Amino acid sequence: MGRYIARRLLETIPLLLVISIFVFMFIHLLPGDPARQMAGLEAPPEEVQAIREEYNLDKPLLEQYFIYMKGLLTGDMGRSLKVKIPVSELIASRFPFTLQLVFAGLLWGPVLGILIGVISAIKRGTWVDMLGMLIAICGLSAPGFVLGLVGIQVFSVKLGWFPTGGLDGIKSLFLPSIVMGTGIMATLARYSRSSMLEVLREDYVRTARAKGQKESIVMFRHAFKNSLIQVVTILGLQIGGLLSGSVITENIFSIPGMGRLLTDSISYRDYPAIQGLLMIFALEYVLINLIVDVLYGVINPKIRFD
Amino acid sequence: MKRLLPLLLAVVMTLGLVACGGNSGGNSGGNSGNSGNSGNSGTTTPPADSGNDAGDTAGTSGDKSPDNDFVIAMPNDATHLDPHVSSNGYSNQITNAMYEGLLGFNEQTEVIPVLATDWSVSEDALVYTFKLREGVTFHDGETFNAEAVKAVWERGKDTSLSLNRNTKKWTDVEVLGEYEVAIHIESPDNTFINKLTQVRMVSPKAMAMDNASDYLAKNSAGTGPFKLSERVDGGYTKMVPYENYWQDGPTVDSLTFEVVPEDASRMAKLQTGEADLIYPVPVTDIERLQSESPNIIVDVRDTTIFRYVTLNTEWALPDGRKPFADKRVRQALNYAFDSEAYAKIVFNGYAKEPTSCFADTIMYHSPNTPYKADLEKAKSLMKEAGFEDGFDVEIIVDNTTIEQKGATFVMQQLSQIGVNVKLLANESTVNAEATSAPLETTTVQMWYVNWSSGSFEADGSMRSILHSDKMPPDGYNTAFWKNEEFDKLLDDALKMTDTKEIADTYAKAQAVVWEECPWMFLGNDNAIVAYQPYCTGLQFKPGDEVVVTTIGLDH
Repeated sequence: MGRYIARRLLETIPLLLVISIFVFMFIHLLPGDPARQMAGLEAPPEEVQAIREEYNLDKPLLEQYFIYMKGLLTGDMGRSLKVKIPVSELIASRFPFTLQLVFAGLLWGPVLGILIGVISAIKRGTWVDMLGMLIAICGLSAPGFVLGLVGIQVFSVKLGWFPTGGLDGIKSLFLPSIVMGTGIMATLARYSRSSMLEVLREDYVRTARAKGQKESIVMFRHAFKNSLIQVVTILGLQIGGLLSGSVITENIFSIPGMGRLLTDSISYRDYPAIQGLLMIFALEYVLINLIVDVLYGVINPKIRFD
Repeated sequence: MKRLLPLLLAVVMTLGLVACGGNSGGNSGGNSGNSGNSGNSGTTTPPADSGNDAGDTAGTSGDKSPDNDFVIAMPNDATHLDPHVSSNGYSNQITNAMYEGLLGFNEQTEVIPVLATDWSVSEDALVYTFKLREGVTFHDGETFNAEAVKAVWERGKDTSLSLNRNTKKWTDVEVLGEYEVAIHIESPDNTFINKLTQVRMVSPKAMAMDNASDYLAKNSAGTGPFKLSERVDGGYTKMVPYENYWQDGPTVDSLTFEVVPEDASRMAKLQTGEADLIYPVPVTDIERLQSESPNIIVDVRDTTIFRYVTLNTEWALPDGRKPFADKRVRQALNYAFDSEAYAKIVFNGYAKEPTSCFADTIMYHSPNTPYKADLEKAKSLMKEAGFEDGFDVEIIVDNTTIEQKGATFVMQQLSQIGVNVKLLANESTVNAEATSAPLETTTVQMWYVNWSSGSFEADGSMRSILHSDKMPPDGYNTAFWKNEEFDKLLDDALKMTDTKEIADTYAKAQAVVWEECPWMFLGNDNAIVAYQPYCTGLQFKPGDEVVVTTIGLDH
């Protein structure tokens, strides 16, 4: 397994290289002039030109790419055009907030989602199943901004139980956790239900029952464990998405996370920051996929890594 | 059961919608808004009618603050805390709590002494001599003196700093004594004093560092009432009072600027008491705020923001005719535009009718007779100019909600005289690039935009956008308007020293712009600030900037 992980990690290098080229090209294809944006409307042309030179924006694109790659290989992601600090520092300062938010959602979302899904599958067709799926569909269809704003109005403004978000300790994470967790919960409830139903139809489940095993053992040892493979894949994808920041949740709850950083950087045409962020997001996905693949083996030892 | 599911779902969704729609729907009724606001600077509008369900809101029931930490919530963060790097509104709001200049502005846009106590001008208007305040120290312990002023000038030679805009015409800074300094300028310039208010003093020790800007991003080194305590970029900037401040300062324990981009969340922060002051308050939410939280003070402030549409006088139709080259067409557009309706519909009444080409909060503003909406006159002017059938034209606008709403209104108004406007909404960066293109390559026909002069002066409010030397890429005269009389008036005024003469010259210049209309004049919108009743010592600059020097909380 160690070799497998090492190989997968090595494979990410050419992948990231290709991504870097695409990211660089796309960003520079966007219309808009970062130097003009940085200087502001009132700035005279000399100031705009001075900024262009300072950040190598006046050089040919290919040269800019090589300057960027040279820096990247030595661990330097460049300096943010907007806040003028190293991009690595900028991302490092924002990442913990996004991570916090993701954890806040992961704390209850997956557990409740899987629980609802599994129970719904077991009690298929009954009112329990209906209720479970009703919760899931509501969770999926309620947009984050509605949940967030209603949450703020009810729990902060009217009841005064929780802060409206911000960076004020654990308490301020309560409402964001509801919004983040709801999406995960709803998605996982749907997937774990269908995955569980699929497994329940498998021969080995019938065999286990025919052997006269207790229903609880059939459900949890045979069916549930096997249904988890699909669930883990979905959860991995979800976490990957969440780690690149949830713009809406971050905006509503005033959390300076990665999603807001990305949208701010794009609207400012902060090239180094956008590049850095997209590279990090790509890396996140690669790593999470790797973790998911490794988890497959843990859940089902029959899956081999070669 | 299966049939019940869709029904159940529908009920749940409806409930959800009611829950979130409830806040803004309210009793808005007709959208006349609170248009009765007087619009005067500093007008405090206490709750119009005492709301019925007072005390319904958590956190703001008492008139005493629960703590002594002042929190201001605003939608954007400073781009940089080095006052010589950043110069936009939100950056200034934050950095001005930590840094001061030799001179400043009071609420009436009058120049007042800050770190200078007195100043005089030489006969030829080329040398300004300042007496400096004694006993002032920077946050890092350095003494403020004439050498410090000189060091700031030296730093301003770096053209990549925004500081350079305000110091590039200085030819020398002469140290006459420990607390006396003379600034020499290359040519007489009536805007010198106003621009000087934007030059903030930073400790020479901090400026001498290798990476001064990096240091100043994390440490404050000014003479202001607050010094930096902690900062999370994009999150908040917290400051504590400077213990050796040279005058009576704030009485709070700390001051925090929190970034709250979402309008509804910002309002909620004020209602829960998490924030003591917020701005801007969206004009559509004022009524709701006043009815739900009647004890909160809503303050309608005049701003320096002037909204207009540039008309490219060189732009030609496919048949070669240049509609905006004809003054009558440009005037017709202004007569077709109802600025009162614009204020009501786009800004819920929180805007003022224009009477000149910049806001009346700017020094030397001189009012002209407003272009009252008069469709008949507009049509007859169009006919006279040979455009009675109208024409098709494109307008570029930033893609924010409020800008697009405004441009859509312009589009609707002009359709009445056969001018078919096509809206091109782009990100501001894209528009900034398009509007920097010179005449030969420009694609700009009309541009819906606004302008405000940070130093509150007439020259800064006109030169970059109307002078013929300032056509793109050298400025933003995207009307490509050239009027020799106007140019001369502006250039002459710059060299004058007598304020009466300056005022007369600027009045003439404004009259020329008003008559010639290189733009459609739209209006001057208000800024809405809201705060808790227990905030004390608040002052405002003519923009919507909060002056935090003496703030306190009744607790």
